[in-house]
Amino acid sequence: MPIKAMTQEWMDAYKAAIQADPEYKSIAKDWEGSVSLVVNPDPARNVPEPIYLFMDYWHGDVGDFVVCDKEKAESAKFVMTGDYARWKQVAYKELDATKALLQGKLKMKGDLPYVVRNIKTVNKVIDLLGKVDTLWPDDDHQ
Amino acid sequence: MAGGYAGKFLRVNLTEGSWSDFTLDHDTLKRFIGGSCLAAKLFLDQYPLDADPLSPENPLMIMTGPMVGSGFPGTSRFSVCARSPQTGIWAESACGGTFGPELKRTGYDGVVIEGRSQDPVTLTIHDSGVRISDASSLWGRDIYEATDTLKAGDKSAKVLAIGPAGENLARIAAIGNDKGHFSGRAGLGALMGSKNLKAVVVRGTSAKAAKADDAGFKAAMKTAMQEIKDSALAEGLHMMGSDANMDLGMVTGDVPVKNWTSGGEFDLASNLSGPTMREKYLTKAHACTNCPIACKRVVKVDDGPFATAEGPGPEYETCAVFGTMMMNPDLTAVIKANELCNRYGMDTISCGSAVALAMELYEKGEITKDRLGGLDLSWGNMDAVLELVRQTAYREGFGDILADGAVHAARRLGGSAMDAVVHVKGLEAPMHDPRGFHGMGLAYMMSNRGACHLQHFVLATEQGMASWPQLFDMKDDYEGTTSVGKAWLVYNSENYGILANSLSICHYVAYSIRPETLRDAFNAITGFGFDFAELLSTGMRDWTLKRGFNNLLGISKKDDILPKRIMTALEEGGAAGSVPDTDLLLKEYYALRGLDERGFPKEDVLVRLGLNELKERLY
Repeated sequence: MPIKAMTQEWMDAYKAAIQADPEYKSIAKDWEGSVSLVVNPDPARNVPEPIYLFMDYWHGDVGDFVVCDKEKAESAKFVMTGDYARWKQVAYKELDATKALLQGKLKMKGDLPYVVRNIKTVNKVIDLLGKVDTLWPDDDHQ
Repeated sequence: MAGGYAGKFLRVNLTEGSWSDFTLDHDTLKRFIGGSCLAAKLFLDQYPLDADPLSPENPLMIMTGPMVGSGFPGTSRFSVCARSPQTGIWAESACGGTFGPELKRTGYDGVVIEGRSQDPVTLTIHDSGVRISDASSLWGRDIYEATDTLKAGDKSAKVLAIGPAGENLARIAAIGNDKGHFSGRAGLGALMGSKNLKAVVVRGTSAKAAKADDAGFKAAMKTAMQEIKDSALAEGLHMMGSDANMDLGMVTGDVPVKNWTSGGEFDLASNLSGPTMREKYLTKAHACTNCPIACKRVVKVDDGPFATAEGPGPEYETCAVFGTMMMNPDLTAVIKANELCNRYGMDTISCGSAVALAMELYEKGEITKDRLGGLDLSWGNMDAVLELVRQTAYREGFGDILADGAVHAARRLGGSAMDAVVHVKGLEAPMHDPRGFHGMGLAYMMSNRGACHLQHFVLATEQGMASWPQLFDMKDDYEGTTSVGKAWLVYNSENYGILANSLSICHYVAYSIRPETLRDAFNAITGFGFDFAELLSTGMRDWTLKRGFNNLLGISKKDDILPKRIMTALEEGGAAGSVPDTDLLLKEYYALRGLDERGFPKEDVLVRLGLNELKERLY
């Protein structure tokens, strides 16, 4: 049964997918710090308000994975912002997140060299995003 | 006179010790713009193609473009062009730094150097005059020493110089601008050495090229600065330099390992990467003239066997060729190798590739320790590597075999050597593996100076650093390990990249700004009023002109190939199991370029591009 994207239930499922992955712990052993995703509103695609998602990663473990408010999102070590359609492309692996960042389709606030050094961790968590059976807002809308 | 041009060129004859100015008409400038494109046009019109590349008849051309000196970001560049001493075909090597804008300030758009001086000389170009002076006391000095000496009397002077490698006619010799910027590829330092020309010094104080539309230029400039400020790519380059590619490239299969025989060495890459350089050895970022990105590294290694005084740091290419290619995990050894190549004046890609070849042959037992003069050239033994770099610059011992590059070395060494060289048309490939990115393989096959990552924007488009749907139908995200659709990508990325080279604008800046901004700035400076189609057509004309140049020197379809090693799949890493489909790539590309079955531009293409004189020579 698909889970509505960017809801707390979806965040819980995403966290579970990461925890269940046999490779994640070793790949992410050096990663320290929280990441938040900011989804810009897109009323035409049934995303009327911005959505803020906060995820805490620490040396191969995961902590809080919550839908949050703007203030908490902005407290993360890394804040990535993009339009809803871009995030969906990333989840479906139609657009590599690193390329989206370089092309300006996603924006990031945080230590870029740290992300580059840990690119395998970044790729892994994005890969696992696609493992969650998801119902997207515009899927629902249709 | 179109805007942006100083309005005249300098022709120097070193045999006679004479010089004179010449001009080019508006139509020629509009069609060939500047940089290497204009140089190729001049060469074909005025010089013999069949002269030995190290003979006095081979001219050395130093060209800027109309945007150079304008103040627009990234317009510091110039191209050094000639027939290559290393490959025997067309050679161009663009360089950033300080020389280009300073040359413009002397009132010249370019310099053509003919002949050969009897004795070592320095050519000085000042806006008050030209001088050829004795350089005997500089001959034998490395590039850092020579540059410091030449700038001692006027720190604002800008210097192009060769080192011992160029003096010794090593066909991988480079030309250095103010110690930190290099025209590295294709052996143009050897041509300068063959002319007994130690250095070119420029100092301009007054000349300033007028712009066609000052207000339009200011608007484009403002837009460009904001776009660069907003660019994550520009931010990454500022923070990590071009070596930001090391970690990412190892994941995607871009980085060659162990002389192109391995992949997936993530820890090795991490030791050599831009973030590591930043954390441990970077003292500051450095910028070419008029560049807000500042991607250049200034580094210092305080202690250890490879301690290095503060100075210009290595680019990604150098970190790969003296790092992963040699199974060397020590970034301090790479920094030292970079300094030595800078001082001796050698292209790091060619030098490192030749040394990596020797390491492989040593491991196979095809080169013995005796032949190496006692050096243990095991993978990762950087003491031996650095000694071999020195020998190469001075053509001592085994270094004499490597001094002309990996292909010449393989011919002399025999055995399995040629199968272990990755090159196209005699130029060693840069550090981007076509097995991970098939479009790059096509770009290597078809670049007019041989295997090259700088004659086009394929690196940016195929790897997703930039996306320009407004220029041509393209995707945001290309899969590297497929050949489908790549001919279209390469064709267009070449036409845009070649245009940038003609304008003499830095690729990194061009990646970071929108094409509309570049077009608007170009038009505001020149007044040419080009639309995108005309701009890309300029790239097409340039590519075809240089292809014709090479065709006249015997290049044909038989030379448009990737080497055996690249056509052998790797077993590990991001490119595992993948090789480019060269038949598909070439078939589609030949159709786009209008090449016939021989690999020559078809007559109608030449006519359409206004290259009628070339048509007469080819047909």
